[in-house]
Amino acid sequence: MHELGVVIEVVKTVENFAEKNGVTKIDKIVLQIGELSSMIPKYIEACYPAAVDGTMMEETKLEIEILPGNGICKECNKVFNIIQTKGKCPICGSKDNEIISGKEFMIKEILAC
Amino acid sequence: MDTYKILEIKESVFENNDRQADLLRADLKKEKTFLLNLMSSPGSGKTTTVLRTIEALKDEMSIGVLEADIDSDVDANTVSKTGVKVIQLHTGGMCHLDADMTKQGLEGLGTEGVDFAILENVGNLVCPAEFDTGASKNAMILSVPEGDDKPLKYPLMFSIVDVLLINKMDSIGFFDFDLEVVKERVKKLNPNIKVIPITAKTGEGIDEWANWLRTEVKNWNEK
Ligand SMILES: Nc1nc2c(ncn2[C@@H]2O[C@H](COP(=O)(O)OP(=O)(O)OP(=O)(O)O)[C@@H](O)[C@H]2O)c(=O)[nH]1
Ligand SMILES: [Mg+2]
Ligand SMILES: [Zn+2]
Repeated sequence: MHELGVVIEVVKTVENFAEKNGVTKIDKIVLQIGELSSMIPKYIEACYPAAVDGTMMEETKLEIEILPGNGICKECNKVFNIIQTKGKCPICGSKDNEIISGKEFMIKEILAC
Repeated sequence: MDTYKILEIKESVFENNDRQADLLRADLKKEKTFLLNLMSSPGSGKTTTVLRTIEALKDEMSIGVLEADIDSDVDANTVSKTGVKVIQLHTGGMCHLDADMTKQGLEGLGTEGVDFAILENVGNLVCPAEFDTGASKNAMILSVPEGDDKPLKYPLMFSIVDVLLINKMDSIGFFDFDLEVVKERVKKLNPNIKVIPITAKTGEGIDEWANWLRTEVKNWNEK
């Protein structure tokens, strides 16, 4: 499981941001995770308490938004969800496509004061 | 009562690390220390290759080694027997090193006068690929018993490295490992990659690897 290291990176980034912006308390953090990224939301949630332990985010709630893993078909330009169709274009059946979203792993925002 | 407001961050989690890695790279350039980040699955032969590399180059340059492990000193002990400077980094359960940890490791090692620092990353083909350590160049080892399908399963790792060492070539007769197929697969992901077959155990192929390093270290430390 490589999520712990990544969540620790998230905490570092937010702490940096908080320091620069004079934030003292964070109620909630919102992450955006693409379906095609190597991060699994369930594991992120599982290791989150360990990663925030002893930091200013100890009491901060975690919210995760999933971004769809979409691709565009190189044959017919149809945009479709790569995961649901196992990479096959639902219109023409081509497997030749380009990923346009779903690899993200972003800190979207925090609710803070 | 506290009034909370939404603050947009909109930052990719890896951006923060990428920035630190760029800073570290610039520092290393100034200090004339070439840092190689060596990655692979557990047991592919990183430590054996590090030993061979030291043997080949230690009379020409000053070498330092950073051994990253989740929790043990075995590799650092082995490497220290060669007489080069070595430091053991414990990642405390983490499966990769980031730029911050690498920087701390280099400070612990002391890079003054070190021409060539080798970082043996944690054995893992996923996470180390996502975290830029600040290294001058990245190399990975794929060993024959792991199979020639690995570029298909871990494309990111094969896309980001400058060199791919194919180790344990002595065992190729026992496995259905097709060297040409691997080359084809990795060149598709990474057209500029250099592929060098080696047998770290016997030292076969190490010459070509040492030559590549010699040139890279020289370029880095001169310009
Ligand atoms: N047959 C053969 N065995 C090798 C070769 N290179 C390494 N080995 C063996 O493979 C095993 C693992 O080698 P290491 O160098 O410890 O591998 P590593 O990647 O450093 O392993 P970790 O640090 O545990 O991830 C050892 O038993 C080595 O002797 C090789 O070229 N041929
Ligand atoms: Mg080792
Ligand atoms: Zn189509």
